[in-house]
Amino acid sequence: MRKNNIFRTIIIALAVAWALVVLFPTFQLTNQEKKAEAYYSLIEKSTTLSKNDIKAALSAGNLELAVRDNFRGNDGESVDDVLTTVNDLTEIDKKIETTEPNSIKLGLDLQGGTYLVYELNMPALLEKLSKQNDEVIETALANADKTAKSENRDFFDVLTEMLQEKGIALNRYFGRRTDSDSEIISKLKDEAHDAIERTLEVLRNRIDQFGVSEPSITKQGSDRVVVELAGIQDVGRAKSIIGTTALLEFQLEAEQDVVRGVFNEINRVMKKDLSEGDIDSLAVTSDSSVAPAKVRKDKEVSLEEVFGESSILEEKGVAQADTSDSTVLLDEDVFQDRPFDALLANVGGDIGVPTKNVATVRRILNSPDVQAVLPNDIEFLFFNRPVQNGENSFYRMYVLKKEPELRGDQISNADVQIGSQLQAGQSVVGMELTNEGAKIFSKVTGANVGKRLAIVLDGKIVSIPNINERIPSGRAQISGMANIDEAKDLAIVLRAGALPAPIEVIEERTVGPSLGQDSIRKGTSSAFFGLMIVIVFMGVYYRLSGLVADIALLLNLFIIMAVLAGFHATLTLPGVAGIILTIGMAVDANVLIFERIREELRSGKTVRAAIDSGYGRAFKTILDANVTTLLTALVLYQFGTGPIKGFALTLSIGIVVSMFTAIVVTRVIFDFFTSRMTLKKLSI
Amino acid sequence: MQFLTNTHIDFIGNRKAALIFSGLLILAGIASLILRGGPNYGIDFLGGTSMELHFEKDVAIEDVRSAVREAGFESAEIKSFGGPREILIRVEEQEAQSEISAPIQESISQRLPDNPYIVQLVEKVGPKIGAELRTAAFFAILIALFFILLYVSWRFEFIFAVGAIVALFHDIIITLGVFSFLGLEITLAIIAAFLTIVGYSLNDTIVVFDRIRENLKVLRREKYDSIINISINQSLSRTIMTSVTTLIVVMVLYFFGGEVINSFAFALIVGVLIGTYSSVFIASPILVEWEKRRELKKGRPMAKRA
Repeated sequence: MRKNNIFRTIIIALAVAWALVVLFPTFQLTNQEKKAEAYYSLIEKSTTLSKNDIKAALSAGNLELAVRDNFRGNDGESVDDVLTTVNDLTEIDKKIETTEPNSIKLGLDLQGGTYLVYELNMPALLEKLSKQNDEVIETALANADKTAKSENRDFFDVLTEMLQEKGIALNRYFGRRTDSDSEIISKLKDEAHDAIERTLEVLRNRIDQFGVSEPSITKQGSDRVVVELAGIQDVGRAKSIIGTTALLEFQLEAEQDVVRGVFNEINRVMKKDLSEGDIDSLAVTSDSSVAPAKVRKDKEVSLEEVFGESSILEEKGVAQADTSDSTVLLDEDVFQDRPFDALLANVGGDIGVPTKNVATVRRILNSPDVQAVLPNDIEFLFFNRPVQNGENSFYRMYVLKKEPELRGDQISNADVQIGSQLQAGQSVVGMELTNEGAKIFSKVTGANVGKRLAIVLDGKIVSIPNINERIPSGRAQISGMANIDEAKDLAIVLRAGALPAPIEVIEERTVGPSLGQDSIRKGTSSAFFGLMIVIVFMGVYYRLSGLVADIALLLNLFIIMAVLAGFHATLTLPGVAGIILTIGMAVDANVLIFERIREELRSGKTVRAAIDSGYGRAFKTILDANVTTLLTALVLYQFGTGPIKGFALTLSIGIVVSMFTAIVVTRVIFDFFTSRMTLKKLSI
Repeated sequence: MQFLTNTHIDFIGNRKAALIFSGLLILAGIASLILRGGPNYGIDFLGGTSMELHFEKDVAIEDVRSAVREAGFESAEIKSFGGPREILIRVEEQEAQSEISAPIQESISQRLPDNPYIVQLVEKVGPKIGAELRTAAFFAILIALFFILLYVSWRFEFIFAVGAIVALFHDIIITLGVFSFLGLEITLAIIAAFLTIVGYSLNDTIVVFDRIRENLKVLRREKYDSIINISINQSLSRTIMTSVTTLIVVMVLYFFGGEVINSFAFALIVGVLIGTYSSVFIASPILVEWEKRRELKKGRPMAKRA
């Protein structure tokens, strides 16, 4: 018995020592962070810098400069006074950097941040890889994607099955003519794998440049990327940087006579359809098979109002449509003759589409009848932002040559510049091309002086400058940014490169920093209240023995925290809930033991004998009961996503640790007292 | 201090009443589930976007509603919670749609330019993820039950495992029924709470079973049903005690834990109460019923058991 207890005491001492060592950095960090906060507010007071500015400057290493530049000073204060604070802050910041990795990490829900799951758009990737894109493969890809998603199956399996059913060989679209279906599928899978790896790389670059501390970017499954950003203020901006495909293309404007011809054709087709009353063929209805996905989100501008039975002739002049959204702006004078032109306007010499008409115009352009008469080598693209002209806003629309002259992969660098001359004071993005890109650019500009070269980002025109002369330098500019942030963001995505295929957010969990702090506060206070009540309750019910159990309970919490810190686990809000639940359930082992001891005492055993058999008999029960609880906690951990994992983790740790503290620790305390003095009565 | 020691409550004798009571609860729960067309799944399982905004000044819910409508989300659900400055916006999405929170936020900022807000919480779950989570949750509960069946059969007897599992189903169905009746949402966190209830209720049941196992060896002369009744009585004070300490912390969590874990804590409160009840009134009586049928088949009256 004695030997046994020495052994137990050593184990307990080791556990406590280990816990102290492991928890020390967390303790240090709290102090360091408190100090850092004080320094931040000191500097904030003496300069015009905000806390975020200070943080940014600190991580960039130029805080001293920033403070000198933005010194405001309070009464009698000199720059040097503030600079000592800067030094202190820099020192503390360095210390924090070393202690932080060894402290308990707080989850995104506690410190504020965002958790994003992106999925690669597989159909878009395959369309890019395909040798020819026709309706057959496009619908097959879209359907396969839909089925795979709804039935939770592998995209490639579904695709193969679908094409086989229709008797279409994959080699018509992918790979070499001689390749078998299975060879092509495995090649495509490799491509998809490649694409997700490249996506990961590009996202890492973009996020690094955006400046987030300790971002986590990981792959999930075969086509997903999980991005976790802690403590960021502007989630929307971060999302737009991460989520843009950033496919940049330089496309020449189509020749004037081609453009004229195209418009004549469209007008002719529309007129014919209208006179035949065949409105449906113009995609007038909101049939989703005709309306492309892009249109759906725009404000609906229904053509029925104008082209439907009643209202065609009621519009007068360039009708300013009433406030209802289901109307379009229409030039009645030209409607009979050139119905398509009637939907457009002249904006500073360019074609402008009133914002209200954009959806309608897109539908018309995408309708099969119009598609049939359009040449294959041109496309209609819109400007990425509207222009205000008089009372209405317009989107400019251009006819461009489909084949790009140059792509974004030829950009070697991009940065924000302040424009000169025409764009004086505006932010512009300057791009530097690679050697090869510069050569192509020089040739293209040389051969097309006087024409316009559109810079197209993800299918929208961002800039369409006139080519005044050959540009041999390999430099180009994008102007027209709304503000400097937009310019910065564009430069980031251009530098980091385009994604191999579009990605979509399929899961997002964002917690604002204030809610995180609120959760920490409420979590800690609940834990404290719960703990206090349970401690008092145990003391009242089991008297001194209850206090022994309370010591075990406190030690339990202490070791749980140590295990979290020691294994670099992340503490989340559900994790806190798990710990709080543990407080209630951890005393169970002691309750079992104490109830047994009481029974043994009632049956007339001595104190020592009662303690011995109480522990002995309760042990089996505790083991069985805890193993089953642990089983469910482990299943929970296995199945759970982030937040649930946190709960299952702390619950599991709590169960295991409680078995140690409730059985071993309390036993040593009991034995210590019973071996020193012969107790006639046990306070239980 | 002691209470409930040396009790001689006839749990087994009154098992019919308990079974009727449980049966009624389960029926009411199922009826509520049917009437409401299944569980009220949250966006975790249906897919959708939910946002919590905290405005600087009091805000009229109508303004937010029309702003959201202008952004094109007619069916969005908008309600205030926690105070006149907190607004919850929920959009269920059946189809994958790229961006929902950005246009809504833009529209609100335009409509209420002098009442700035911060985004407290955004949760967006794509429909595919929702379906995946649904399957995962289902399998998690199934796998957990399977392991429990295995473990309890190994440590005790198969029929003990059956008793435990029946009690677990009983607990989950009733908690689900309470949630359905009150119109509360089933989210990922609630599934976690269910699994915790499974763990807790099982813990309780195992403690009673353990006593039965022990007493079956010691009290050989007693009848099977009275052994079980004695065992329940002997472990009663522990059962109550642990329920009380657990209930204390869960109640604290419910009242002070903040709205994020509010319904999670509520599920646990219901679960702890039902779980405690079931380990006494459901799991053990099943052993008695089973034993009775076995004895009947053998043509012997219920007697002592080796």
